[in-house]
Amino acid sequence: MGTLPDSAVGSASSPGAESAPGRQHAVTLRSIVKRIGGTEILRGVDLDVEPGTVVSIIGPSGAGKSTLLRCVNLLETPTSGTIHVEGRLVFSGTAAMSRGALTALRRRVGMVFQSFNLFPHLTVLRNVSLAQMRVLGRTRSEADERSMDLLRRVGMEHKHASYPAQCSGGEQQRVAIARALSLDPSVMLFDEPTSALDAELGLEVLNVMRQLAADGMTMIVVTHALHFAGDVSDRIVVMDHGRIIESGDPQAVLTEPSQERTRRFLRAVLEG
Amino acid sequence: MSALDHLTVLLRGVPMTLAVTAGALALGAVLGLPVMLLATRSPWRPVRGAVRLVVDLVRGVPPIVWIFILYYGLAEHVVRLEPLTASILGLGLISSAHLAEVYRSGILSVDAGQWAAARALGLGEARLFVDVIAPQALRIAVPPAATFALNLLKDSAIASVLGVTDVAYQANHEAQTSFDTLTLYLLAGVLYIVLGLPMAVLSRRVDRRLSAGLAR
Amino acid sequence: MSLGFLTDWAHQLPILLDGLRTSLALTVVSLLVGLPLSLAFALAVLSRRTAVRLPALAVVEFGRGVPALVMLQLVYFGLPQVKLSLESFAAAAVGLGYVSGAYMSEIVRAGLRAVPAGQFEAARASGLNLIDEYRYVVLPQALRIALPPLLGFAIVLFQATSLAFAVAVPELLSKAYAVGSATFGYLEVLSLAGIVYAAVVVPSAIGVRALERRLSRLST
Repeated sequence: MGTLPDSAVGSASSPGAESAPGRQHAVTLRSIVKRIGGTEILRGVDLDVEPGTVVSIIGPSGAGKSTLLRCVNLLETPTSGTIHVEGRLVFSGTAAMSRGALTALRRRVGMVFQSFNLFPHLTVLRNVSLAQMRVLGRTRSEADERSMDLLRRVGMEHKHASYPAQCSGGEQQRVAIARALSLDPSVMLFDEPTSALDAELGLEVLNVMRQLAADGMTMIVVTHALHFAGDVSDRIVVMDHGRIIESGDPQAVLTEPSQERTRRFLRAVLEG
Repeated sequence: MSALDHLTVLLRGVPMTLAVTAGALALGAVLGLPVMLLATRSPWRPVRGAVRLVVDLVRGVPPIVWIFILYYGLAEHVVRLEPLTASILGLGLISSAHLAEVYRSGILSVDAGQWAAARALGLGEARLFVDVIAPQALRIAVPPAATFALNLLKDSAIASVLGVTDVAYQANHEAQTSFDTLTLYLLAGVLYIVLGLPMAVLSRRVDRRLSAGLAR
Repeated sequence: MSLGFLTDWAHQLPILLDGLRTSLALTVVSLLVGLPLSLAFALAVLSRRTAVRLPALAVVEFGRGVPALVMLQLVYFGLPQVKLSLESFAAAAVGLGYVSGAYMSEIVRAGLRAVPAGQFEAARASGLNLIDEYRYVVLPQALRIALPPLLGFAIVLFQATSLAFAVAVPELLSKAYAVGSATFGYLEVLSLAGIVYAAVVVPSAIGVRALERRLSRLST
């Protein structure tokens, strides 16, 4: 069972302070608890993600994987715990985040959703340019130029004038990746990016993600695509019932898991 | 005059408001059925088309124009109607057109499988309509019908223009001799809202009663 | 039965069309007043701040629950009591504008509810602030969804302008009634008025239904 390195976190830091000297993690989550009503969805999760690495989170549904992922860009607010992104404290359970700090966080962290969530009333190009113009203040021509670069990177530049409805699922998801990259984030979050796609279309997307990883992006990926997770990740984390039950080298976790629950989960996935 | 006195005057108009609403609703509910049947189940296409055209025309003319036609128009050479009768007839005519639509969508919303199952059991068309389709259609039709009834309550105010002594009439009548016109009209408005509340509650209760019979 | 009424109709039509122009103008002005109101009401009613939501709810429910005729009379005969005297057309536009705003706010609210939750999330995750989120992502989609019912309402509003008869606006019904009382031939001219109303309403309704079908095909 991989014990997660305890990063040197100053617990009483105020927002904006650097973490204590030592290795700086891209993302650090400590004791994340999330309670809704009477149910505990996350029961005290610790996670460190090193810069430039890919961490895949796997596990049965209802384990809290997506919820944990969404805590990183504060689409979900934990009930308690601390979150550091690039050494900066972004959540500590006490101080509410200012609008400016929230926007700054979302510039550093990009997110790709299971159901793509492209803006249907905008062209592919506009989808990728909108945030650049409204959040970064770029002019339309600057933004569009950058957007075309990003679309080229994901192989979608030929469809820049199309609307999402005119693109296949795999194409839409690739545009969604370009959109998430448009603010030059240092961390990319993927919430089951291929679950809504069939095998063929999913492959297009996974290849883009592979390239992204090779280019050195820090990525946290919640996924059911175990092959991909095994190939591309630097580390696999297994979650169940709101806790991390296993974590470590991908091949090790997938072929010789140390936890019984992990074994059961992997068996179920292989049969299904 | 105090607000309470104003209220007493306005309340005198409630019976007429309710009479016009209830009368038109009853007329519409009854007439709507044959209209809907002709429009959907008549075996001749021209009949179906003609009925639907007439329904569209009836709904295309504003309610106040209809009651003017019935009251002023018919009084010339045909028949002189009482203001109350003209109002109920006019609003009833429009109601039948609207309710025919409500019945129609109610029937269309009944799952197609119900027809198949009933026919497979050997039930005759008329029988299965009465026993199987209509009860389900009615349940679906209750909410839109209730919304319509609420709108009818508000439309009933146009009867005041013909001199029917409803709430709106009382408000206008009083306003001529009072300085407190704003309060008067505000109270009249609130009174209409209050009159509509029981209808909203009743419709929810009727809806629940009818759904109880539809065990899932 | 003589067909003399057709000649009468030919004489009366220009007068009625003049009234129609006023009815259409009143419809347009009331919509110009009501549409921004409906947006404001819809957003206010959805606000999480009770101090905003409760008064907004009261204002909307009053606008929807009061008969349009009574509202017109309230504005024309009632407001002068608080030193707000409006002439006929303005009073009718204010009254119908308020009522329209209240009804249309419900349509806009339904449109907002129909925007998928994922859109709100994607907008937020992209770093857009609340105003931009609504301005560039949510409202364009909500209004697109709300367009057919809003157009349907505009048709109903046009019919409601006939109520402005009661506050002395020279619209279609008033003109017809004036001709009727001058000639004592009410049936003729009122029937013609009815035909003019239907001639505007029925094709418009067909047009809106066709638009609805086209829009639903585009979104799938």
